[in-house]
Parts: sequence; C-alpha cells; structure tokens
Amino acid sequence: MCKLTLESLLFAILPVSLLGAVAGLDMVSFPQIMLSRPLVSATLAGAFIGRPGAGLLIGAVLELIALETLPFGASRYAEWGSAGVVGGVVMAGQPIGAAGALPVAMFVALATAVFSSRSMVWVRNWNAHQARRLRTELDVGSPTAVDSLQLRGLTMDLIRGFSVTFIALLILFPLSRRIVAIWGVDAVHSRAVVTALAATVAAGAIWTLTHRAARAGWLFVLGLGAGTALLLLQ
Amino acid sequence: MTNPKSTQRARNEVGTPAPVSSWAVGASFLRLFAVQGSWNYETMIGNGIAFCMKPLLRGLPEERYRAALARQGRYFNAHPYLAGIAVGSLARGELDGEDPVRIDRYRTALCGPLGSVGDQLVWAGWLPLCSLMALTAFALGAGPLVVVCIFLGAYNAGHIALRAWGLRVGLRRGMRVAPALSNPLFRDGPAVLARVSAVLAGLILPLALQRIIGPGRVLAGGVAVVAVVGAVILARFGARATGWRAALALLSIFVLYSVAH
Amino acid sequence: MPVALYRIDDRLIHGQVVVGWGQPLNLGFIVLIDDVVAESEWEQELYRLGVPPNMEVYFVSTADAARDIDKYMADRRTGMILTGSVEAMLTLARTAVRPITAVNVGGIHHREDRTQKLRYVFLNESEEQALRDMAELGIVVTAQDLPSATAHSLEALLRGCAS
Repeated sequence: MCKLTLESLLFAILPVSLLGAVAGLDMVSFPQIMLSRPLVSATLAGAFIGRPGAGLLIGAVLELIALETLPFGASRYAEWGSAGVVGGVVMAGQPIGAAGALPVAMFVALATAVFSSRSMVWVRNWNAHQARRLRTELDVGSPTAVDSLQLRGLTMDLIRGFSVTFIALLILFPLSRRIVAIWGVDAVHSRAVVTALAATVAAGAIWTLTHRAARAGWLFVLGLGAGTALLLLQ
Repeated sequence: MTNPKSTQRARNEVGTPAPVSSWAVGASFLRLFAVQGSWNYETMIGNGIAFCMKPLLRGLPEERYRAALARQGRYFNAHPYLAGIAVGSLARGELDGEDPVRIDRYRTALCGPLGSVGDQLVWAGWLPLCSLMALTAFALGAGPLVVVCIFLGAYNAGHIALRAWGLRVGLRRGMRVAPALSNPLFRDGPAVLARVSAVLAGLILPLALQRIIGPGRVLAGGVAVVAVVGAVILARFGARATGWRAALALLSIFVLYSVAH
Repeated sequence: MPVALYRIDDRLIHGQVVVGWGQPLNLGFIVLIDDVVAESEWEQELYRLGVPPNMEVYFVSTADAARDIDKYMADRRTGMILTGSVEAMLTLARTAVRPITAVNVGGIHHREDRTQKLRYVFLNESEEQALRDMAELGIVVTAQDLPSATAHSLEALLRGCAS
C-alpha cells in the first residue's frame, strides 16, 4: 500500500513545499544547520508522508552523491535541500516494494537539483539588483537599508525553495508514478545500479578530499577490510 | 532590537573605546546565522557583515556609526562560520577608532584566509566526516531518527562552537586575529579529519551497499568493485568531472532502458 | 608541468584556490604576485594562514616574478601562479623569460567602473583590452571558477553570454 495518492498529493503539496522552502533556505541563507543535506531533508519528507524509512533510504543514496558537493560561496553547486525533499516524497509516495521506486526517486531528485542550482543563481542576481536599488542609502550607512536588503534576500530565498519544491512535485510526482508503474527491471538489479552510481561518486569525492593527507589510502583500505569483515560476520 | 540604555551610555563616552554589552554580542551572534541572507555576486556577504555588526556598533556616535555601516557593507567574502571573526575584529576596530584606511586594507586581507581556512576545515573536513558518521550508523542498521540526530547533533556541535568562538576571539583580539587563526585546529585539523574520513569511507562502503541493495553479498561485492573502478576513472578525469551530473546522465539512460524494457 | 595554472583572482588565496583547485591538482606551492602584499608582512602572515601546512606560498612583486619564473617552472612540485589583477598577469606574460601558454580568469569582483561578464567576472574596458592583448601574445585565456565548472573562451567571456 502507498499512503500518498495523486489526489492526496494536492493536500500534501503545500506543507511539503514549505518543508522544501525551509530546507532550501538552510542551504545558504539561514541558518545553515544542514537541514539541507539530503540525508536530513529526504528523511523528514519521508516522515511527513508516513514512511521515514523510505525517506532515509533515498536520503542515504543522495548523501553519498552530495559528498562531492563542496558549497564554496561564489561557485555554483547543487541545492540539495529542496531536491532532497522532492526525492523523499517521490520515494515514500511509491507503492511499497515497487522495483523502480529508488532509481526514479534518485532521478527526480537529481533533476530537481539541476533546476534548484540554477534558481540559486537567479536569487543571487536578484539580490544584486536589490543592492543596486538601495545603493544610495547603503552608501550613507542607512541601518534600515542594511536590514531591508538582508530581509529581502532571505524572503526571496524562502520563496525560491518553496517554488522549486512545488513545481518539481507538481510535474515530477505524477510522472514518477507512471514510470514506476511500467518499470521493467527487477528491484535488486535496479537498486544495484543506483548504488553503483552513488558509491562511485562518493568514492571519487572521498579520494579528492583525503588523498593529500598522509597514509589516507592505507587508512581507507584498513576501513574497507574492517567493513568487509563486519559484513561477513553479519 | 536596540538596547537604549547601553547605546546612550556608549554615546556619552565619545573618544574612549565604546563598550559592547552582552546583549549586543548575543544579538550579533544570532544575526551571524543569517550572514549570507543577501548573498550576491557584487558584494557577496558584505551587507551581511554590516547586518551582523549593527548591534555591536550601536554605541558609536551617529556619524561614525553610519560611516562604519557604509564601510562594512561593501564587498566581502569569507566562510560563513568564520565570518564572526571578521564581524568581531572589524567591529572592535571601528569601536576603537582605527584609521578607516587601515580597516579597509585589513578587511581586504581578511577575506581570503577566512574563506580558505573555513573551506578546508568545514566544507572539506567536518561536513563530510559528519556525513560519513551518519552513513556509518545507517549502514549498521540505525533507524531514521538516530541517523538524523547523529548527523545534526555532531555537525552542529562543531558548527555553533566555531561561530561563537569566532565572534568572541574577533572582539577580544580586534585587528590582530592572525595568531588565533594559526591555532593547530586550523593548521592540522583538516588532515586529521581527512584521515578519519578515509577510515570511515572504507568501513561503510560494503555495509551501506548491502543495506541499500538488500541481501546478496556477491551482488554487493560486485557493486563495490564497480564503485572503486568508477572512482578511479573519475579520479583519472581529475577535477574536470562532475560526478553527480554524470550520474544523472547515466541514470536517465537506465530509466529509459527500464521503461522500454 | 610544474606550474599547472596561471590564475587571475582578486580574492587572491581563498577556498576556491586552496581546496577547489589545490586538492585535485595536488598543489605544492602558490606564487602570489602582488606588489602591495609583497611589501606587507602582516598581510603575508594572514594569507599564509589560508593554506595547509604542506603547501608553500611565495609572495613576490611582478618584476621579481618575471625574473624568477624559470625557478618556479623547474620546481618538482605542482604550482599555481596567482595574480590579483589582469594588468599584473599581462605584465608577467610580456616580461617573463619563458612564455605563458594559458591563463585562467577565476574571479574579478564588482567595482563601480566594471560591468558584469560572468557571475564571477566583472571587467572594465582596460581589463578587457589587457585580456585581448594576452590573446594576441598567443595565450589561451579562459574563464573558469572551479575545475568542474565550464571553461568559457575569451570571446564568450567578453560577450558576457553565460551565467
């Protein structure tokens, strides 16, 4: 059974989009406590739909991929907050045991991340436009203008996260249900493909992050040995 | 959000270093969480710095207060968690009546190190380590609440402590924060975090794969081999490959195949 | 190739340089070319704090850099040559004892006299001309903030066509 139908999505989409807005805002603007990491945002979204375990599963897969993303301030990077919420809802909204649920949820989340990454650039350009409008007051040190610019930016980022989540769910959730319904590969192999992709990106990211540290390669092998031993003992 | 008593008291003491009330420090600390609220490609977090500094500067005479806000709202960039160092030290400089030209030069020189140190320690060190800790819990079978609490609890213990330390050290040391930034935590911390991350990454790879894929050690082992080989290929492409976009492209092909199948 | 990147970035040493490029290129040293910083010990102290212990930074003036570029090219470690302005890089390209083949424009921030070309590059007319002069010297000029981002050609950069 699945708790989220296309009809009930109409009622759930507003609060879920609000969750996407908060997670999206957390990515850069406020308060950056990492609600925006997919492990958190997808799990929360899954919990909202009534299936936190499903949210955690897609969240863990997306988190492996997000290890690659270093959010340097001025660069362009994926916005995982709203993308994670969309992935969590799509995953939790599929029939339990559906073979295509995980790959389709991952596909939808990554597609949303591309769009949300672009939307952050729009907001940043909009902030620059607002700063130009307030330039005369900012140049004379108007305290009101300083606060106003900050609040405008925060508000617009909140609206951005809400809109990204809302639009993505409105378009991609019904589409995901159709794709999952005609999915033609069994569940185990579908999950294997998803996991291979996520683990590849994660391993590449970890190598980039750690290879400069002395003995990091050996430590990785040591961990791999311990993990394999634990797996065999289970 | 002003505290009229402390403001009035400070304004009566023009010429001496203006006092900073604990209320003002608290207000500034809370504002630090929104330092990137108006991030843009022209002034980056410049306005955010002025926004966070506002409560600290309220004790200045009106003319100096506005001049300081105008100066601090210009272009600035730093790691958001270390922006408190800039806010504290530059506010101290303004309150102590430092030469504006020196404040400007100091401000410019502070941008790079605060960004670089923060990126190494937090984005490339602490964040991936906390992710891997939470993924380890997931791989070992922990439930959603435990995994999320481990991640948010561990990460934010470091995050909030770093923000609070930055503001405090900035206010205390003023425009002489270089010794604070040479703390071994910043110099050696990233390498230590990288080593711990390497161990955890190796540990979780087989366990997480099995939890996601389900029973079947041979398949999990096969996927692990594919992941290691794929990572080597990614590394060979060097920095120019964006793995998550490549993953999206490959996944699109798989979705099309599965639907056609 | 010991000098892997010639970069123009007015933020000088910051996260994109040290982590974004530094980690994948495995940088061993950075040559920071800036006439003001080369004379200022307290600024050097601050910039030095921004790099990991296994990465060295040399602070040199434009004139010294042109003279010593052979030394950096002969270094066994991988290095980056970094200037804060287009003019400094052009001067280096014209006076260096070894030719420079490629220059990366990594970030030039907003100023009153500049117009936006890319989200991280703002240029005035003389800077645009200086980049064209570099191209005439046979240097391949591209704009790219991080290694994983798209590299924009000089023509695309000056047209300001991309975000």
